[in-house]
Amino acid sequence: MNKTAKRAYTLFALVIAFFIGVAILLASLYINGGTWASNRVNRHIYSSGRIMSAGSIYTADGIVLAKSKEGKRVYAENKTLRLAALHAIGDDAGFIATGIHSVYRQELSGYSFVNGVYLLKAYDKGSDIHLTLNSKACKTAYNAMGNYKGTVGVYNYKTGEILCMVSSPSFDINNKPRNMKTGEGEKYEGVYLNRFLSGLYTPGSIIKVLTASAAIENNPNIYYETYECKGVLQTSTGTVSCPSVHGKVNFEKALNKSCNTAFAQIAIEMGKEKLSAEAEALGFNNNLSANRLNIQKSVWNLSAANERDLGWAAIGQYNTLVNPCHMLTLMGCIANGGQGVAPYLVDRIVTPAKVVTQRGPQAKNAAIVMDAAKAEKLAELMRSDVKNEYGDYSFPGLEMCGKTGTAEVGDGKAPHAWFVGFCRREDMPFAVVVILENAGSGYKNAVPVANKVLQTLKPR
Amino acid sequence: MHGSVLEERRFLWLPLLMLITIFQLLSALSAVFADGKFNLIPAAVMGGYITAEWIYFILYKAVVKKPAGAADFIAFFFSGISIVICANISDSFAVKQAVAIALGLVAYIALLLVIRNPEWAMILRVPVAIGAVGLLIANIALAKVINGALNWIDIGGYSLQPSELVKIAFVFVGAITMDKLQSAGSLTKYLIFSVTCVGILFLMRDFGTALIFFFTFIVIAFMRSGDIRSLFFVLAGALLGAALVLYFRPYVAERFTTYRHVWENINEGGFQQTRVLIYMASGGLFGLGIGQGQLRGIFAASTDLVFGVLCEEWGLLLGVFVLITYGLLTVYAIRAARRASSAYYSIAAVAAAGMMLFQVSLNVFGITDLLPLTGVTLPFISRGGTSMISSWALLAFIKAAALYRYEEAASDGEKLRGGAGL
Repeated sequence: MNKTAKRAYTLFALVIAFFIGVAILLASLYINGGTWASNRVNRHIYSSGRIMSAGSIYTADGIVLAKSKEGKRVYAENKTLRLAALHAIGDDAGFIATGIHSVYRQELSGYSFVNGVYLLKAYDKGSDIHLTLNSKACKTAYNAMGNYKGTVGVYNYKTGEILCMVSSPSFDINNKPRNMKTGEGEKYEGVYLNRFLSGLYTPGSIIKVLTASAAIENNPNIYYETYECKGVLQTSTGTVSCPSVHGKVNFEKALNKSCNTAFAQIAIEMGKEKLSAEAEALGFNNNLSANRLNIQKSVWNLSAANERDLGWAAIGQYNTLVNPCHMLTLMGCIANGGQGVAPYLVDRIVTPAKVVTQRGPQAKNAAIVMDAAKAEKLAELMRSDVKNEYGDYSFPGLEMCGKTGTAEVGDGKAPHAWFVGFCRREDMPFAVVVILENAGSGYKNAVPVANKVLQTLKPR
Repeated sequence: MHGSVLEERRFLWLPLLMLITIFQLLSALSAVFADGKFNLIPAAVMGGYITAEWIYFILYKAVVKKPAGAADFIAFFFSGISIVICANISDSFAVKQAVAIALGLVAYIALLLVIRNPEWAMILRVPVAIGAVGLLIANIALAKVINGALNWIDIGGYSLQPSELVKIAFVFVGAITMDKLQSAGSLTKYLIFSVTCVGILFLMRDFGTALIFFFTFIVIAFMRSGDIRSLFFVLAGALLGAALVLYFRPYVAERFTTYRHVWENINEGGFQQTRVLIYMASGGLFGLGIGQGQLRGIFAASTDLVFGVLCEEWGLLLGVFVLITYGLLTVYAIRAARRASSAYYSIAAVAAAGMMLFQVSLNVFGITDLLPLTGVTLPFISRGGTSMISSWALLAFIKAAALYRYEEAASDGEKLRGGAGL
């Protein structure tokens, strides 16, 4: 009798196992609850996969980009702003993977371990997200791009705030076109791609900034070298052509004129290892990010390149592909004394209880770093480009530095138009990247877009 | 002299009953005033339930001369939750659930009276065992497939889950066989009975219940023999059997392929588990409000997934409180088993408590993907008549150990301390 009764205590093993299970359940709920609750099948937030209830999203100048009202998602009142900000906030079904609606969906749901999504359900209130975007700059950029596909990005190279991020083609989320996948397929090709963060393009002449950087790094006498441009350069394995016959040019003039012959020579003299080392140092093949937003890696690979290929690589017409946000960060690095601050889009996140849970950038270290003296030299060269080649009249009152690019893409299509650069004004620490696909000359097409957008950001 | 030692610790039954009543009244408001109007049927059902509850506890005090114990409070507390959950889905669910609770209460009292004298159990063991096996065989013959398992039969418009009723027989027969007939022959007979039950459940593809029976068999066999080594052989044999089943019937394994991969199969095999996790998280500590959840729209929400509904709508705090209560009920059973007047009560209490907590584990950890999903119900809380009746009946075995204690077998001189209330 007593023995039987004593054996009862072994059942405590089950009780203990049970409570361990309960503890594991609670721990995993505590750790993963936010991810689980913000799943797209959660009908408190989504309806048929479309976001319905969530916190509001604002521009830096306080304009509502998206909010929820009575279980419906409403977007910016201004149509141009809806089009310009589409890729920043993301569509309602999550096709734009880098949009705030996707990346910050846990925050937007207002989820907390204590309250779950109660505040969202009861008051339509998730955490509000205040972006760094300037609505005026975004609208101007979208209009200035006209019918070209491409992207415009502007950020504050001292702080990292993204003031303008527009990707085209876009669509009006209030009036989603039905024929995006069929019919007018060409018009909406890659519409769900945020070209600023996820695009990869042939760089063309903007890569000469990298080649110049490598030259400064590796050749102390670069400023005293001269190059002879006859419109074509003979290498051991073929030719590199230049659109003009520039004659005798020095380093600075070569960049001003964007002389292919000179830059091909510089690269061939330097060798592909040194050029590749500089590319890697400046963020190529590296996983950069705009804080929580992922950036497509720029691709640099000269392993199979012969001398001619190296010459073409030096002028951005080999196999290199660059990401616009990476280029913007590189401009920021040059502008900011060699400290390339990572861009960020989310200025602050405010819970329904008005508690600020996140403020400013999450990344503490600079994304791209170079020697301050070299950065200063590059900045002077790029200032010289604007002064002597593109003209300060192209950028009234901006003290602009920059480099254009006209990237040949083959297939009988017009080249991509590029402009990368930055203002040197103390009160306008802004870097800019513009790419217009198949728009032709960078100087003719990209420069005016960059100027228009930056003019809207001028302090009054 | 014994009297003073054995005096029940003063049990604050009245305040506890009031507390439970307040909780039930508050939770009932959600159904009574759903959609902003007064709903008569939920009001009548919950009103009737609370009244019956008070009558039970008052009568208990009058008849037994002691306040009711933890088992009674826990059962009424859980059952009240189940009615409110049902009432928030439909009036007919609430009415059916109330009827099931009434039947469960009858079974509870009846069983307590039957086993008041363990000799009765002794006499009834053979018919009960035969009846149980007969029920399972009838189940196979008449079964209709519900959710992949064949564990339901239809009788005159009512669905019945015979395996739930067989649980009661399994403990009833198991405890007495082991206690009274210690010969190798009786052990063999009980083994045959157990293997038959588990085997038929396997044929019915009700693996969850089969596992519960197997676990209970282990508990009973250990309580009886205390022999770890032979239990080890039983376990090894069972594992071998399971391996053979998986080898010859690979579709059995297919039911478990989504285990720990529910998020990759969010709209297929992991549908229910992911929804439970999503909505449990959505509910937070305090819940979204009774009737305000989304999990209720998912298949089997009020039966297998009811714990998820509880967490989403009533809050994680209450969910955890319920789980702790299940654990405490088991502890209570273990302690009662220590002081029961007969080994039959000890074995039955431990077997019933083990069976119940094991089932709670399979249910709660199954729907949250910590264990494979086996589709078993949550005792007392899941919607379903047979499940409710079996929960109450199993509770009778726990209650018996607490009620029929040493002090009533007056000849025994062993000194006992009063533990937790009855």
